[in-house]
Amino acid sequence: MENDKSLLKVEDLKTYFYSKEGTVKAVDGVNFSINRGETLGIAGESGCGKSVTAQSILRLTPKNGRIENGRILLRTDEKTVDLVSLKASGDEIRKIRGKKISIIFQEPMTSFSMVHTIGSQIIEVIRLHQGCTRKEARDRTLELLNMVGLSAEQAIDAYPFSLSGGMRQRAMIAMSLSCMPSLLIADEPTTAVDVTIQAQVLKLLRRIQKEKQMALIMITHDLAVLSELCDKVMIMYLGKDVEHAPTKELFSNPKHPYTKGLLNSVPKLHQGPRQKIEAIKGTVPSPYALPTGCSFHPRCPDFIPGLCDKEIPKLFDVDENHKVSCFLYQ
Amino acid sequence: MLRFILHRILWMIPTLLFISILSFIIIEAPPGDFMTTYVSRLREQGEDMGQVTIDGLRARYGLDQPIYVKYFKWIRGVVQGDFGQSLEWQRPVADLLRARLPWSILISLSSLLFVYLIAIPIGVYSATHLYSKLDYFFNLVGFIGLAIPNFLFALIMLWFIFQRTGNAAIGLFSREFLMAPWSFARVIDLFKHLWLPALVIGTAGTAGMIRIMRANLLDELSKAYVMVARAKGLSERKVLYKYPFRIALNPVVSTIGWTLPALFSGEVLVSIVLGIPTIAPIFLGSLMGQDMFLAGSIVFIMATLTVIGTLISDILLGWLDPRIRESI
Ligand SMILES: Nc1ncnc2c1ncn2[C@@H]1O[C@H](COP(=O)(O)OP(=O)(O)OP(=O)(O)O)[C@@H](O)[C@H]1O
Ligand SMILES: [Mg+2]
Repeated sequence: MENDKSLLKVEDLKTYFYSKEGTVKAVDGVNFSINRGETLGIAGESGCGKSVTAQSILRLTPKNGRIENGRILLRTDEKTVDLVSLKASGDEIRKIRGKKISIIFQEPMTSFSMVHTIGSQIIEVIRLHQGCTRKEARDRTLELLNMVGLSAEQAIDAYPFSLSGGMRQRAMIAMSLSCMPSLLIADEPTTAVDVTIQAQVLKLLRRIQKEKQMALIMITHDLAVLSELCDKVMIMYLGKDVEHAPTKELFSNPKHPYTKGLLNSVPKLHQGPRQKIEAIKGTVPSPYALPTGCSFHPRCPDFIPGLCDKEIPKLFDVDENHKVSCFLYQ
Repeated sequence: MLRFILHRILWMIPTLLFISILSFIIIEAPPGDFMTTYVSRLREQGEDMGQVTIDGLRARYGLDQPIYVKYFKWIRGVVQGDFGQSLEWQRPVADLLRARLPWSILISLSSLLFVYLIAIPIGVYSATHLYSKLDYFFNLVGFIGLAIPNFLFALIMLWFIFQRTGNAAIGLFSREFLMAPWSFARVIDLFKHLWLPALVIGTAGTAGMIRIMRANLLDELSKAYVMVARAKGLSERKVLYKYPFRIALNPVVSTIGWTLPALFSGEVLVSIVLGIPTIAPIFLGSLMGQDMFLAGSIVFIMATLTVIGTLISDILLGWLDPRIRESI
């Protein structure tokens, strides 16, 4: 386990939020690993803990959240650090943020400070991690803005409010790549921009990822994005990883009833109009009162009474690279 | 930025003109004039004045003219720096203002400084240590500060200082410096006295400002760009001060304009209680005695200061926030 070649390995990660209303187990035992240059897709319904997983990796969870369990092993220059063991605002994690691991958030509209120019916000990261002169950092910023397809000379001195959502998201990508991280986490980078911009941004991400041999974690609702961009996929449901598989395998041979439901709930192009779209029955339970046993059992068509509502399934191997947490595959 | 400032300065002219008309009308609005009040005061003391004398004086002071004539006479003088004659004090209004206005401004600015020096750090602390013991404590103190009337607070402080030191903390100077020419020691003496009115007048404003600062910063801290700044690897201090703190300052800065007149009205009773020669006490007197040129001039000066305060806060806002700068 310890000596495999993965860049990042997350083991049994649990991140809980505490409030007056109770505890939200936002992430409740998630496992995955990603190699250099690989793309991992994370998908699942809204609120299943995708963003919190991403924030936990960089130790960015808000104050009321805490990592309760698990390890996040990052391999850097033949040394492996467990990010969970670091202090959340200490020097060590700060040297990883923005330099080894970058993150692009869901909201391009508010991700930049409105009172500083795009350039100054990018230059800041470069100078922080690379200790170069202002001039060198500025040249590098121009290069980056060019690379993401913005007219660099204009964009560098522009304030974020004068750029469109798509342009901002490009600038955000430029910023996240400024120190050539070995891992980029993109948390639904295209949900807030329109369809044509979406396609451009995704193409850009894919191109850069290939060029720089960067690992990419792509968080998305969009199954089309998964199938186009990702080498492998993890499906999450209520804070747990329920299925892991290479992308092709997942689409052709989904195992978990939830994954099947998810794939059936979107229209397929080649089947034309009037096809039957099946929504998964029932609704996502309240995060304060999770069901016993497998948390999907109240909505599951293949529910086995006496088993699924009593015990929590672990991840079973279907195949070498295909794992699913469902008693049907025990 | 220059265009922005010029634009604002040009706007001041019609604003001030409008304010001068309005303030003159308001002061003239109550029935009667200075002579009426003056005569009735004399009668109370058992003296009387013949109707002929009264009419003569009225004509001499120009009180019998229609309001717009009085206004134009007055505003023509104001433009030339002549604010007319105070009927009550029998001195040029300009002299009275010269003697007292600097103290008013000094005390207002000290109170303002006091408000900001106390409120901003506490607001930041409360927002970053939400629901901590100190946060609750500051909240409580803030409510008390808001609830206690200024003059009562001034009296309590006077009593307290008298109990502790045996001195009455009245006025702005100790006796030996009262008439002395300016010297370093006199300035020090002034500061020894200045803190009390600044504290008393500033307390209520401080409580309000803490709440504004705390709420603004909380709002900003929950925005996505804060997490982005953290994700860059910036230190917590930088994450706080470079981004959200700066934006949270905007509403604070924009209150400078109206904080000044609010402080001024807070001064009235405090100046009387603490025996400070500010404009406030004579303003009160001029309103009660219908001393229209004095009252009108004071209102006009205060309005001018408010407009200047607003100009300053607009310039600061434009400097802090590019969105405002570019919207002009
Ligand atoms: N700061 C917080 N305090 C309390 N609960 C939180 C906080 N942030 C997230 N949660 C809860 O954690 C759970 C997972 O949230 P998360 O944002 O990770 O979902 P998500 O999968 O990213 O959803 P989406 O697709 O809508 O972005 C949700 O139930 C959410 O309410
Ligand atoms: Mg999310």
